[in-house]
Amino acid sequence: MTAPLLELRDLVVRAGGRTILTVPRLALAGASTTAVLGPNGSGKSTLLRAAGALLTPERGDVLLDGAAATRADVRAATAAVLQRPLLRRASVRANVESGLRFRGIARAERRRRGEAWLERLGIGALAERPAHRLSGGEAQRVSLARALAVTPRLLLLDEPFGALDAPTRGELLADLREALAGTGTAALLVTHDRHEAAALADRVAILHGGELRQEGPAGQVLDHPADADCARILGFDNVLPGHLLGVAADEIAVPPEACGLSGSGGLSLAARLVRVIPLGPVWRVELEAEGWTVLANATNAPSAELVPGDEVELRVDPAAIREL
Amino acid sequence: MLWDALGEAIRLLTGGDPDTWEIIVRSLLVSLCATAIAFGLGLPLGMALAFGRFHGRGAAHAAVNTGMGMPPVVVGLILTVLLWRAGPLGGLGLLYTPAAMVLAQAVIALPLVAGISTAALQQVDPDFRIQMEALGATRARALWTVVVEARLPLLAAVMAGFGAVISEVGAAMMVGGNIAGETRVLTTAAVLETSRGNFALAIALGLILLGLAFAVNAVLTAAQQRGRP
Repeated sequence: MTAPLLELRDLVVRAGGRTILTVPRLALAGASTTAVLGPNGSGKSTLLRAAGALLTPERGDVLLDGAAATRADVRAATAAVLQRPLLRRASVRANVESGLRFRGIARAERRRRGEAWLERLGIGALAERPAHRLSGGEAQRVSLARALAVTPRLLLLDEPFGALDAPTRGELLADLREALAGTGTAALLVTHDRHEAAALADRVAILHGGELRQEGPAGQVLDHPADADCARILGFDNVLPGHLLGVAADEIAVPPEACGLSGSGGLSLAARLVRVIPLGPVWRVELEAEGWTVLANATNAPSAELVPGDEVELRVDPAAIREL
Repeated sequence: MLWDALGEAIRLLTGGDPDTWEIIVRSLLVSLCATAIAFGLGLPLGMALAFGRFHGRGAAHAAVNTGMGMPPVVVGLILTVLLWRAGPLGGLGLLYTPAAMVLAQAVIALPLVAGISTAALQQVDPDFRIQMEALGATRARALWTVVVEARLPLLAAVMAGFGAVISEVGAAMMVGGNIAGETRVLTTAAVLETSRGNFALAIALGLILLGLAFAVNAVLTAAQQRGRP
């Protein structure tokens, strides 16, 4: 078995007198993308910075190809794209070339590689523009091109799409996936968006409260939360006792999308409507069943018929229930 | 009176009055040297205050900010005492020389330059430096990119320092002595002419001083705003 490209071992990061991240082991394989999912403040960005040797941990090791690595080794193998596109007050081209400049690449080679990435990310036409006059999406493209231009073995992405509108995010996501696949670059993507993780990642790790809670192949992790916190992060908003739905397990999780007020089949449960949350075409309804709060989707129910206090019949798709 | 003064100023400048030109050149040299020294020391000091993690940083920052409002007369007084022939630095023989004036003005400008530099550097997103390191910059290189990034407000620090010392009279008078042909500068000359009742000449010197400050700042501003929309 080949050693992982980068591995974190017994990592503990402390700040302000408290432990903010504990990772016993996390291995990132070459040519694969690992998504780290977690809510705000769960230590995701800290994990990313530890992986890039951008902070000094309390203890723990960063290994490259199975061997202990110095800070300089890790820096040489990685490049990061942080949340906000922190561009220099210079032209787009100069920004894209800056990582190459830091790495001592000669001018002609810088030009060539910078140019290639400008084209590849669709910002060739902006090359001579001052970087501080770009839109958010353009700026993030520059930031991405700047990191990819140094051809890192591992690309570190800290919620790079967080501040972008949906169409811009979608396009950039597609371009990024293409770029990663085309170059065989491994990536560590930190995000709070499970859809982003599903779109890009081969493997998913879940962080909660600074602890690594679950890690595995994306398909497996995204569909099978290990505990209640992981379930909520993965969109299984309803964490309920098993007996409520006649399941043998102590605790179960089920996404709101698998709960509805209409249709036939599936499990059925008497509930009371607490409130209605309009979310565009699909409405989210909050119900109470035997003292437990359940979120469900109401697709076909006309809104006028839904009045808080109503007794309703909740239907749950048993295939979507996960035992915790 | 103002028209007389304006005419006098033009006459002094165009007539090639050697005394006036000598004073202008000396004023410029003394203040530019002082500003350069203040920037050379103030930038590293500002970097230490902006990025450093050391004990007493808060106190040092407060001291620098206090120094920004230090009266030049106080600086002049302290330096005069130090440089006095019988004083601790009297052996250097600097009192009543342009070097002493440069020293005094550098001391006046230093807190200004350091204080504004600190603010300028702190204005740059703290993650900017980390992002540069994350692209392969060494720590020193990343710090330098922050300085380059803050170049516009850093030039403002230089302008503030220069503006403070070119217009300053108290310290220049005290440590320089306003000796004709040796340490006389525009401000001290204007004070002298005023006390002699030569108001037109004094105002003319004042106008030249204003013009000089404007010219230097115009050059710096042009450099600062280059490439801006």
